[in-house]
Amino acid sequence: MDKMLRNWKSIIVFMLPAFVLFTVVLFIPIVQSVYYSFCDYKGMTDPVFIGFDNYAALLSDKTFGIALKNSMFFLVFSCVSQLIMGLFYAVLLTNIKRGRNLFKNIIYLPCVLSSAALGLLWMFIFSPKLGINQLLESWGITDPPLWLMDTKGFITLPMWMIAFVALWQYVGQSMMLYMAQISGINKSLYEASYIDGCTKIQSFRYITLPLIRPMVATAMSLNAIGSLKFFDLIFNMTEGGPNHKSEVLATHLYQQGFKYFKYGYASAIGVVLLVLCLLVTLFINKVVKTEQYEM
Amino acid sequence: MTTTKSAAAERVLASKKKITPIQVVIYVFLVFVSVTYLLPLLWVFNVSFKTNKEIFTAPFALPQNITFDNYTFAWSAGHLGIATLNSFIVCAVALVLSTIIGSMAAFGIARMRWKGSKLAMTYFLTGMMIPVHCVLIPLFTRFASFGLSNTLVGLILPYLTFSLPITIFIMTGFFTGLPNELIECACMEGANIFQIFFKICLPLCKTGIFVTGLMTFIGNWNELLLAMVFISDDEKKTLPVSLSKFVGPYNTNYSQMFAAIIIAIIPTVIVYCAFSNKIVDGLTAGAVKG
Amino acid sequence: MKKGRILSTLVAAALCVTALAGCGGNSGGATTTAAGGGAAPAPADNGGSSGGVQEITWMFWDDLNATEDLISLGYKETIERFNKDYEGKYHVKPITTNLEEYYNKLNALVAANETPDVFIVSPGPQLTDYVAPGVAAPLDDYLNKDGWKASFTSDAVFTQQTYDGKIYAVPLNTAAACCFYNTEMFDKAGAKVPTNWNEMIDACDKLQAAGFTPITISAGTAWCLSMVAGYLCEAEGVELPKLADGSASWEDGKLENACNKLVQLSKYFQRTAAGDTNDVATANFYNEEAAILIQGSWVIGQINGSNPGFESKCGVFQFPGVERVIAKSDSLCMSSTSKCPDGAAALIKYFTDDTAQKYTAEKGGKIPVTKVQYDASVAPKQLGYVMDVFGKAKGTFGFYNESLPTTETGAHFDDTMVAVFLGDMTPADAAKDMEEYYKANCRK
Repeated sequence: MDKMLRNWKSIIVFMLPAFVLFTVVLFIPIVQSVYYSFCDYKGMTDPVFIGFDNYAALLSDKTFGIALKNSMFFLVFSCVSQLIMGLFYAVLLTNIKRGRNLFKNIIYLPCVLSSAALGLLWMFIFSPKLGINQLLESWGITDPPLWLMDTKGFITLPMWMIAFVALWQYVGQSMMLYMAQISGINKSLYEASYIDGCTKIQSFRYITLPLIRPMVATAMSLNAIGSLKFFDLIFNMTEGGPNHKSEVLATHLYQQGFKYFKYGYASAIGVVLLVLCLLVTLFINKVVKTEQYEM
Repeated sequence: MTTTKSAAAERVLASKKKITPIQVVIYVFLVFVSVTYLLPLLWVFNVSFKTNKEIFTAPFALPQNITFDNYTFAWSAGHLGIATLNSFIVCAVALVLSTIIGSMAAFGIARMRWKGSKLAMTYFLTGMMIPVHCVLIPLFTRFASFGLSNTLVGLILPYLTFSLPITIFIMTGFFTGLPNELIECACMEGANIFQIFFKICLPLCKTGIFVTGLMTFIGNWNELLLAMVFISDDEKKTLPVSLSKFVGPYNTNYSQMFAAIIIAIIPTVIVYCAFSNKIVDGLTAGAVKG
Repeated sequence: MKKGRILSTLVAAALCVTALAGCGGNSGGATTTAAGGGAAPAPADNGGSSGGVQEITWMFWDDLNATEDLISLGYKETIERFNKDYEGKYHVKPITTNLEEYYNKLNALVAANETPDVFIVSPGPQLTDYVAPGVAAPLDDYLNKDGWKASFTSDAVFTQQTYDGKIYAVPLNTAAACCFYNTEMFDKAGAKVPTNWNEMIDACDKLQAAGFTPITISAGTAWCLSMVAGYLCEAEGVELPKLADGSASWEDGKLENACNKLVQLSKYFQRTAAGDTNDVATANFYNEEAAILIQGSWVIGQINGSNPGFESKCGVFQFPGVERVIAKSDSLCMSSTSKCPDGAAALIKYFTDDTAQKYTAEKGGKIPVTKVQYDASVAPKQLGYVMDVFGKAKGTFGFYNESLPTTETGAHFDDTMVAVFLGDMTPADAAKDMEEYYKANCRK
């Protein structure tokens, strides 16, 4: 048997298709993308090596600054809010008997729906004349806010709205992850804690939280990468507007790459995005993930 | 066990059986949350049957006379019919191929004995951290020069590839979990490695296939960016792209737009309603592993 | 090892399918060659000899099946007419996108060597983008044949399409940016049609006092706001060519004045102007929620198509305080790599023949580019008013965002104007910003 499992020919047959695809469609393009980011490369011309000029241009690009700020906001907001709300829902749901599945399934529903469609849906709900504002007007509020058009503040109102919609859509994912972990905790641990006179809150603090910590790391890195890649909702809710105020790295990359065909410049944005993704994953796994407890 | 339970524990456990005020608060809160989830969808469903004028004059009332005109328009003139078909083709092909190719590689990593297996795993896993945006431009220029842009194959290839890391990761877990004796037995019986893979190991990992398949399919079904960049022909657009195109520069026809949104999400909603528990658990299992 | 062989065959098959399908995709361009009987590469052959139907791709920025825009519908008719007349010889396949992503998609096709045979382009830097790398073909040979060129109103219609004495695009119609107004609201408010800046402010004040929203505009679609800014710059005497070569500065106070006027005018905009898109702003006008719409005359088709009853209430006046009008003509280019240049040229010609041009005026409400005689009584009333404005103007100038050195400079100008309107930038900062942008990007 050992001979069979060490047969090079079969190993190659098993590995080759995935290896070729992965290398050709993912790995080589990444390398190319890094190369392009050092090139002057505009749509119909050939790339010409120019060193760090694209990165220097990023520094003076105001929209890039806004996009970076917004991406960072998204990153922090979604990590924190998903952690709190996901855990909150998970604890609520594990504490009820009837209808747990129903509520769970309802909250999870938007996770499987297309963000493009949901983005449009919320765009209409927050549009000046439909949805929420119609409701507010029927309640006599004559001057409702312009949800997706306001431009005031460091983090503009549209960014908050999009962030909340993202939370709404994806919190089910975090909730399920925490639920899975919580239901995996041995019941006898809780029983023992109650015997020692712990309240529910105390047992949550001293049993649940430490035991789900590895899952917090998993959920957080999922959220973090997801929020950096964030594109669909923004594209369909505001398209980066008004006046680029809700641009994030992904939308800015799309604009520069496929509206102005500045391939080199857009590649530089892509490299920044890639580096951020790698850094954030490393950071979360180093800081949040600790040793696994035996459960 | 029961004998060692103290009175305090009895109380806490017993309280779970009765409905306490806290439970009532929880239920009220959960119902409120559910409303925020369902109401927007129901609202769109409701207005999708109205005329443009009705949307503004009587936004929350039920439609006066139910008309399917919006739907027929979105389906045919809005190209959503063909888009649904395209989405299905692309996702199904990517699903089948990524499952086969991914499982094969996973088997190679988990079961075959060779020195580079750990390294291969790391190589594939880095793929999970790479955002699709980073490869958009090189892929686009390369596909354009190969004549792959504006074809469904040009979409299937990246979809398939981006599904590989998660497939390989999850399936490796499943294959490693299979008992060694199983393969030994099969080997004694004279089965070759490919029979062992296809006839014995793969069928035993149905759950894994289901989980990865689900993640792959849903992820690709909803993918917008690649499809938007690669496809310009109306006849080849996928659902999310056709939908985004619907907000015209000249006329935003709200009621048809709403019908389009419903068309785009209804297949997922129906499938979800039918198999929600399996889907939720499957996706969670996938994410836990990931 | 039987399975092994089967498996590797499978893999090989999969790769082949991939490769084949790849070729299949490419054949969008290649089939025309095949259908042309191999004669197609020689442009002299008019393609008719082989008997096969040649496919001509035509790219446009509106969905012909879903649109309610009358001009777009007219193009659809023209194409149907062409397909019928040339049945068995040529067949036009429209490729449509929405306006916002039009150039993305067109560039994508160009990059993929699948440039559509005929495509629509706005004159200005966008056309330059296609002329400079040789994507668009010169059309003089076709225009000089059969008196095609002579059918146009004058050679001046080709000014913006001419590069080094060669014409690279054929204009289909002219649209002028004017102020459309609701006559009923003006009467009720006692406002008069303004002829200068102060009267404009006065009229807006009266409209506002009477409870109307004076102006509807879109800052969500930046070029709409920037069009107004363009008029204000013109009124201040901004000279774009001098700015481009560096003999004038954006910081000479003219742009600052124009921006100050824009801010002054913005008090009269609808409340949702910041985020409203072009459609919404236009809908505000024909749904009678605002009194004035500053927009190109292509909007006539849209107004009358959406609310036919509004035609009689709609008046037009020239943007006050300016002598020239902003004019723009949609133009068709032909791909220099077209497999079927004669068919493509014939198609373009169909867009400027009498039937099409009559439709342009009588139904579409745009200014025709040829000497066609049309029935002014069936044409939209607004067209007559626009023609008056056009006739009285002392010349034309292009959209600002399409008259600056590059497309991106235009977009930057649009964004800057929106920032001024939103109050994110003071007029002085805007002037400084434009000057810095020009120094960094445009004067090399």
